[in-house]
Amino acid sequence: MSSREDILQSIRRNTRVRYEKPDLSGLEHEALTYEDKLSKFCEILKQVGGQAVILKDKENVNDMIKAAYPEAKRIASTIKEIKTGNTIQPITCSTFHPDDVENSGDLDGTDVAIVDGRIGVCENGAVWLTQDVEQRAVYFISEALVIILDRNNLVNNMHEAYKQIDTGEYGYGVFISGPSKTADIEQALVMGAHGARSVTVILI
Amino acid sequence: MSTKHSKAAGKFLENKGLAAWHDETLWMVRAKRDKVSKEVPEWEHLRDMASAIKMYSNSHLEQLLMEFEKNALANGAHVYWAKDADEYCSIVYNILKGHQVKHFIKSKSMLAEECGLNEFLENKGIEVVESDLGERILQLMHKRPSHIVLPAIHVKKEEIGELFVREMGTEPGNNDQTYLTHAARKNLRRKFIEAEAAMTGANFAVASTGECVVCTNEGNADMGTSQPKLQITAFGMEKIVPDRDALGVFTRLLARSGTGQPITTYTSHYRKPRKGGELHIIIVDNGRSRILADQEHVKTLNCLRCGACMNTCPVYRRSGGYSYTYFIPGPIGINLGMLKAPLHYYDNVSACSLCYSCQNVCPAKVNLADQIYHWRQQLHTLGVASSSKKLMSGGMKFLMSRPALFNFALKNAPIVNSLPRGMIYNDLNDWGKEREIPEFAKESFNEMWKKNKVK
Repeated sequence: MSSREDILQSIRRNTRVRYEKPDLSGLEHEALTYEDKLSKFCEILKQVGGQAVILKDKENVNDMIKAAYPEAKRIASTIKEIKTGNTIQPITCSTFHPDDVENSGDLDGTDVAIVDGRIGVCENGAVWLTQDVEQRAVYFISEALVIILDRNNLVNNMHEAYKQIDTGEYGYGVFISGPSKTADIEQALVMGAHGARSVTVILI
Repeated sequence: MSTKHSKAAGKFLENKGLAAWHDETLWMVRAKRDKVSKEVPEWEHLRDMASAIKMYSNSHLEQLLMEFEKNALANGAHVYWAKDADEYCSIVYNILKGHQVKHFIKSKSMLAEECGLNEFLENKGIEVVESDLGERILQLMHKRPSHIVLPAIHVKKEEIGELFVREMGTEPGNNDQTYLTHAARKNLRRKFIEAEAAMTGANFAVASTGECVVCTNEGNADMGTSQPKLQITAFGMEKIVPDRDALGVFTRLLARSGTGQPITTYTSHYRKPRKGGELHIIIVDNGRSRILADQEHVKTLNCLRCGACMNTCPVYRRSGGYSYTYFIPGPIGINLGMLKAPLHYYDNVSACSLCYSCQNVCPAKVNLADQIYHWRQQLHTLGVASSSKKLMSGGMKFLMSRPALFNFALKNAPIVNSLPRGMIYNDLNDWGKEREIPEFAKESFNEMWKKNKVK
């Protein structure tokens, strides 16, 4: 008999009381909500070490990115343009597309990656990214991450977030809440363990 | 009466500075957990639902694991089933061998620790690199984790500084945490890029989608799995959850309970292999299905491995992870060790004051203290109860069931107060070891009550 059959048989033999699947609707209904989602999201993102900036009318997103990371030379972008109201702003500050490289390791040394955020979660400052390029390393390997997020796509909590997301065609998605961090040496908090040292979410 | 735990704890406490730091630091993590949990008014409801989901999923494992397998196969993953540690290690080895892997990068997995994966692979000539910073430090020091979430909590930065001078060529004497962390970032980045395969554990496996979810703060699981195109993910079968709505509950609890963060930095959802790559998923039993039949202890399968029970435990904080004989320390480790091999790990059940704090902070409501109490009741049956404790409780029973004798003894007890220390603190009195005997009152409550002195 295969291990699969052995294990399933052992489960059948040993399972005792069968509990019903709980109804989560009460909890989901009761869960935290915020009156001002935009300011809550900005506040929590700051607490987890990131920063949120709101793109104002007539402000250019490229200027904003260049002002935030003036030293950046290698800038990858997974998006060509952003839409704000009726206007379209092309992303002109990037120097390459992440799928232009031959190997994922060639992305090492990327200063800034500009990526598309799908959903922002107010209770924890996390943004949901769905893999939309072949080299998903770009979300982690660059020194700084700039996430473009539509301010209308903010949700209160994780229950609401999970109702709206999917992992898309590539079959990979991730919530990112601020920069990579560790406290493994004497519990001192250090940003930039392996992933981005700095995360900026631009709300459009 | 001394157990292996209490002897090892005695050693840990000899370094007073480190012991005090350990205690205070973990208490600070516990305080952070309190703060963030209080920001969520529905916190107790969340815990109730987390527990209810686990009780459901662990009593429907057959159905959910088969659903997971079906969906994972449809996603293009390979799925394996491992009965025990040996089978799990062999499956990993065969995948690596089949792809001529020489460099293997891992993110933190308690299952790999449980099954001794690193030693197994290293003996077969495969270089295994741990990528979580704390795990990497311990790997280079040839030590084991002393905490499941904060693995290097017992190591001082000076030791790490010296280690990194040797291993990574850092400046001697520079023990700054930021400097050392960034040196490791640079050093491990090469390892990520050179590796031919990457491995992760899983915090959750979702039956309805066939995806595995991994939570990290460092981003090491994602750095690993976005470089080499060969990914292996293994999980103990109790990590299964029915659907994404369940993830909504667990992702709100996990980091808040473990480290006091509102969520981990990265919550990664691996559903399909990368283009031109392979995703291999191993479902591991290794004794878990046996626990299903044990009604007293089945709730250990609810555990999310968040570490909250360790941070809050007054005994763990003051004795350190190495004082326990099982590889997982603290309240959950006491219970898991007993389930693994009671005659081997019974020393740990005394490492508990039954304060019940662990049970009250556990996000999935594992009845940790109830279970420890229950194990203690079994020690006699297992034939490992302490003979001196049995003698003393036998004596107490004799005394307490004879009121006249008891009152006589109590009346004369204050004599002990004026005895020379040597007569009280000696080898004959186990209760006088490592603690001061309280002073006996001149008058008992009973006498005071009778004289109407109690208002």
